Amino acid sequence: MTHVVHRPHPHDSGPLHVTGTAPYVDDLPTPANALHACFGLAPVGHATIDTLDLSAVWAAPGVVDVVTAADIPGENNAGPVIHDEPLLADGTILFPGQALFCVFAETRLAARKAARLFTLESTELPALTTVDEAVEAHSFLHGPLVFERGDVSKAIEDADYSSSSRLYIGGQEHFYLEGQGSLALPSADGLHIISSTQHPSEIQDLVAEALNISAAEVTVEVRRMGGAFGGKETQAAPLSIIAALGANRTGRAVRFRLDRDDDFVLTGKRHDFRADIRVGFDASGLIKGVDGILASRCGYGHDLSRAINDRAMFHADNAYFYPALELTSLRAKTHTVSNTAFRGFGGPQGMMLAERLVDKVAAAVHRDPLDVRLANLYNETDRSVTPYGMTIEDNVLPQLMPQLAETSDYRARRAAIIDANASAGRSPVRRGIALTPVRFGISFTTSFLNQAGALINIYKDGSILLNHGGTEMGQGLFVKVAQVAAEVLGVGLDDVKISSTRTDKVPNTSATAASSGSDLNGWAAKLAALELRNRLTAFWCAEQGIDGGLTFAQGRVSTEDGQSWPFAEVVRAAYMGRVSLSATGYYRTPKIDWDAKTGQGRPFLYFAYGAAVSEVEIDTLTGANRVIRADILHDVGRSLNPDIDHGQIEGGFVQGMGWLTMEELVYSARGDVLTHAPSTYKIPCASDRPDVLNIDLFDNANAEDTIFKSKAVGEPPLMLAISVHSALAHAVSSFSPRGRWPDLDAPATAEEILRTIATERTQAL
Amino acid sequence: MYDVSYARVNAVPAAVDAFSKGDDPKYIAGGQTLIPTMKARLAAPSELVDVSRIEDLIGICEDGDVVIVGASTTHAAVNADALMNQRIPSVSALAGQIGDPMVRHRGTMGGSVANNDPSADYPAAVLALGATVRTDRRDILADDFFVDMFETALEEDELVTAIAFPVPKRAAYAKFPNPASRYAMVGVMVAELADGAIRVAVTGAGSSGVFRWTAAEKALAGSMDAQALDGLSVDADDMLEDLHGSGEYRAHLISVMTRRAVLAL
Repeated sequence: MTHVVHRPHPHDSGPLHVTGTAPYVDDLPTPANALHACFGLAPVGHATIDTLDLSAVWAAPGVVDVVTAADIPGENNAGPVIHDEPLLADGTILFPGQALFCVFAETRLAARKAARLFTLESTELPALTTVDEAVEAHSFLHGPLVFERGDVSKAIEDADYSSSSRLYIGGQEHFYLEGQGSLALPSADGLHIISSTQHPSEIQDLVAEALNISAAEVTVEVRRMGGAFGGKETQAAPLSIIAALGANRTGRAVRFRLDRDDDFVLTGKRHDFRADIRVGFDASGLIKGVDGILASRCGYGHDLSRAINDRAMFHADNAYFYPALELTSLRAKTHTVSNTAFRGFGGPQGMMLAERLVDKVAAAVHRDPLDVRLANLYNETDRSVTPYGMTIEDNVLPQLMPQLAETSDYRARRAAIIDANASAGRSPVRRGIALTPVRFGISFTTSFLNQAGALINIYKDGSILLNHGGTEMGQGLFVKVAQVAAEVLGVGLDDVKISSTRTDKVPNTSATAASSGSDLNGWAAKLAALELRNRLTAFWCAEQGIDGGLTFAQGRVSTEDGQSWPFAEVVRAAYMGRVSLSATGYYRTPKIDWDAKTGQGRPFLYFAYGAAVSEVEIDTLTGANRVIRADILHDVGRSLNPDIDHGQIEGGFVQGMGWLTMEELVYSARGDVLTHAPSTYKIPCASDRPDVLNIDLFDNANAEDTIFKSKAVGEPPLMLAISVHSALAHAVSSFSPRGRWPDLDAPATAEEILRTIATERTQAL
Repeated sequence: MYDVSYARVNAVPAAVDAFSKGDDPKYIAGGQTLIPTMKARLAAPSELVDVSRIEDLIGICEDGDVVIVGASTTHAAVNADALMNQRIPSVSALAGQIGDPMVRHRGTMGGSVANNDPSADYPAAVLALGATVRTDRRDILADDFFVDMFETALEEDELVTAIAFPVPKRAAYAKFPNPASRYAMVGVMVAELADGAIRVAVTGAGSSGVFRWTAAEKALAGSMDAQALDGLSVDADDMLEDLHGSGEYRAHLISVMTRRAVLAL
């Protein structure tokens, strides 16, 4: 029996959050002589820089230093994998809004004013902006990834039916409440950088490379972020590196915070995709072959685009077995901002392909899409191998989906909706409903990243300091890992002191990403805690002459025969007995083995599963739409903390709903982001949450040896919102001729819904 | 912001006088458009003359069958005003749909009407109800007031003091807000005036700002029924087209929102 894990505990910073007293980077006291940084942004798109005159910038009041690419002593790069993302433009402007130079001034306002005083002469170069343009021009970052099985052309030709369609899937701005921010503090021993980042170790490396110093001279720290969603995995680096450069040059602290509009323009977003789908199937809706092409807008540089597009491919089947298949991933290079990680990391876009094709098939064979979904699910016998050769061993969807259909009363509601739509008459209101599953692979697809470290110190008074490589961005990682440490050491949660993530405490960490934070860091903390518990046990047994083991629970150390001592007393004695009370734990994910060259292997330790039923209402005259009810059943294994997991599921669903319905990024013809503020870019707010939102955890234990049998929860729930998009298409389909499913693109804005209704009405004539 | 001098005045003559002494002055009331415009460097007046505290310009009263709104009356006040709710409820309801609570508690009717933003709500009400815009020197009929987007019949130094709304037999406003900004993508006010005249005014959509949809007015004069609008549409080429929506979409929404306004009468 557990005492601390598998129980609800509030977020450790909850009281600070609700009272507005949780300090973020920009809330930290500014050293007296701190400088403030501001980028000068390119007012043009793809172009050659002829001259860049910064004399007026230098002359502006309060300006202390100005740097361009030439002033970077080491490498001018923020690219995490391929070094193709300049910190500051060097000869060529690669996208509209790229940083040309950086000003350091006495005040933030002085820096911002000075940053506008440059004169640029440039020669415009041809620009590719969209996926369509780049694919047409064969502009790709690198070669395609292809998964193949069997003869897909033959399978589709031989099938009773086939269907072809194209789906555009929009991108998404992270819109973290706390924008990008960094504070660089110089000292005689090196640089201390406090950054709003998911990846302190990467910033440490990039700062060292840019400044030609060793990584050991750079410490990167983060206590908390005000939201990140993948947008601070690589995108926090440029600010931190430039702040470090300024601190190094001037010997003064440098504070750097992006204005929201600049943040929108400068930082990457979720990749928008174009999916081309051809599917062959039989009269029952059983899929025979799938030929799919996923093309994405990567922007001007690599960033994480390779892994993101790989993950899109890993999820282009979602929950369904494709007997014959050819899936191709095209990574379009454009002259726009370099797109990046966003909750789901390409997975959501891949799943959209799968769910669209299943809806197409179901419409064509006149069946409830749920039945077609169930019929095409992976099983654990003859239909269990994914397109990349991994055998699925933990599939719970055959139980989970019918259970949700039952508890949500899906079938009766669907029948009622179809009846109501048919008899709607002149009423403009139509409703739609859909049940869609999620099967999301857990592990970094870049295998070496699946490692983590933790450090636990026990002090003489029995108090415990916990440190690990994971970062807190509001998701509740810190409380979960603290629960693990408290459980193993048999103390209360309040006895474990949580501390900021620092590269000088736990080195060489991976980004807190891929939903893996508690899986990796939880295990590392457990191993550190076990090491300490074993040392205490060995010492105390010898000291007291105890045969057999000790149990650590509820603040006491006990023998099997009922003797017991306070934890702090045992610790004190261990110190006096010269026992080390500090230990590290190190974990690496077992079993994973993925070969990117062959496109085969086991990229994931396990899968997280879930399903959602969404019911929507559309106004067929304006396209206005809303979600009126959603029912979610989600698999988090044995939840470490059910309250935190509920919050992640709800937030993920609403964020996914925003992506697929209202968040619309609009670009100019040369690639400027035109929607760069909340006045033009709409994210969901409290009133957009469905009035009825039922969330339940599926009763399951992880089949793999994960931390206390839990499952990752960060990303998977976002994809539950695909049910909203499918339900919207269902509502539109009330205008479709029998057998047709509408080609509703994402985001399904009011105008897009109206456009699709018009198309379906034309088809019906 | 660039350097700007600021003067708060407490009477209309003082306002006009202060204005006349400025180099490049602007009147300011709630500042809900002017201040963001100045922040974005799209306007850089050298003097601001604040008319928001002139008592004569604040409040709502009636004069026979005319409801008179002081130019510095906030949207929130119009929305909550008992007299307006009783006499012209469509206008108080419209005021409650403008922007967000912060905008409604600062922004004023005079400022909105004088600015003539093509996506603002009030111009549709002023035009549909055949209101009169009163200034420090004359009365201007709504039909003569709105010239083009962000352009009115006001002289440079002329100050709006009140808007006088003749009480209609009935009127209704239907709006499709932009989801992010809550500005009107399309807003339509349909009114049957005291003399029986039908007026339909459209905001948010026209490339020249607010306009009267006269074809719809004629159709509704024959029969005040949504079906009277069947087959009518505005020309998409005359519509605004931007990142929020195409001209076709706005033209379509005009037909829909006009019907909804008629149904809400």
